[in-house]
Amino acid sequence: MISLRNITKRFNQKTAVEELNLKAKEGEIIGFLGPNGAGKTTTMRIILGFLRPTSGEVFIHKLNPIEDRIEVLKMIGYLPENNPLYQEMKVNEYLQFIADIKNTPDYENVAEDVGLSDVLTSKIEELSRGYKQRVGLAAAMISNPEILILDEPTSGLDPLEQDKIRELIKRIAKKKTIIFSTHILSEVEDVATRLIIINHGQLVYDGVKPSGRGGVEKLFKKLVRS
Amino acid sequence: MKTLYKKELNYYLNNPLGYIIVALFAVFANFFYIKDIFVVGQASMRTFFSILPWLFLIFIPAISMRSLSEEKRSNTLETLLTLPISESQIVVAKFLALLTVMGVGLGLTLALPIGLSFFSKLYLPEVIIGYIGLLFMGAFFIALSMFFSSQSKNQVLALLISVIIIFFLLIINSDFNSAVLPKFVQDYLSYFSPNYHLQNFIKGVIDIRSVFYFVSGTILFLFLTVIDLEKRG
Repeated sequence: MISLRNITKRFNQKTAVEELNLKAKEGEIIGFLGPNGAGKTTTMRIILGFLRPTSGEVFIHKLNPIEDRIEVLKMIGYLPENNPLYQEMKVNEYLQFIADIKNTPDYENVAEDVGLSDVLTSKIEELSRGYKQRVGLAAAMISNPEILILDEPTSGLDPLEQDKIRELIKRIAKKKTIIFSTHILSEVEDVATRLIIINHGQLVYDGVKPSGRGGVEKLFKKLVRS
Repeated sequence: MKTLYKKELNYYLNNPLGYIIVALFAVFANFFYIKDIFVVGQASMRTFFSILPWLFLIFIPAISMRSLSEEKRSNTLETLLTLPISESQIVVAKFLALLTVMGVGLGLTLALPIGLSFFSKLYLPEVIIGYIGLLFMGAFFIALSMFFSSQSKNQVLALLISVIIIFFLLIINSDFNSAVLPKFVQDYLSYFSPNYHLQNFIKGVIDIRSVFYFVSGTILFLFLTVIDLEKRG
């Protein structure tokens, strides 16, 4: 479904991602870990075609995200880091706007799924951080895309809201490919079916989650320190 | 594209700043028109049409400055560019929304000539062609301002650069240049001045060279803006 072959991305002299190879299949929930600046966001942006790789190839169902941008983006829902939203819009206006661009009749089921029904007529700028995150997630889920790319979906949320988002991710995961980045290692233990760790732009782990409580944390610290 | 056009237009409809800018434009434009009638004693639209480019100098960069710089500053450009909509659709939708706002501003100046036509002899085709010329010029300035808006995350900087560039374009064929530059240089430079091309429309003449100048200038800056969005690393 998603295939990255020898992806390298350089910004001037700095290498953000180096010779990265990755394949993701339907039904996988991939926890994407790495310290700050490891290249997680860059990799996600390359998958989306938002950034052009310096070298290497990306395919989404045999389509190239740069050359077949529109077709690829129809298959992907994306929650960017820091969740940029049009603050001046009301929640229902924003979701309708996204639904119209994605050519989907309505957004109401998704809004209900993520618990936005009570705030649909509120302005986005007036919402709490947790609700804003739900708006971003709802926008990503509109049109029921095959692939969800979530860049730190629970960032800045309180523990209860984090739990709700995790439950939601697990619930919608069937027949989808989900790639999510996070700094919360227990989140990966709880949600992911596969673990990928990158450090300094290079893949250092790709495989199953270590078993046992705290297994992900131990592995992460071992690989990132070394 | 229609969705984004509606969203952009709604921003101006739901924002007091949009109303203030359009109202100020209409007030100043109508003031200059009334001044012509009562002070100069002239009911012609020619002086009025000649003054409007100088109002465009502020009005158009003011409405266009946020079009892309605000998207860049708030990172919503990433949201927009990761939706299934092409860069050219984004640019054209924003351009058409701004053209509509400018059209409303120009529309608010129509009441006086229409009213005056009942009491004096206004040659209507000349007035209509004059307005068409202003629409062409406005479209060109919007495209130019959008391009400079795409070059910075700072709206004020985008506004200032657009004002400076439009100012230089407007003064290319000014009396000052005529006095200091040799005639052949002045003739050559004049072709690049939007004011020079607007004069034909003001006289009631649709000159194909002037249409070409405005249309090609508009397309050039829209194209450059699309290229800028496509670049993104």
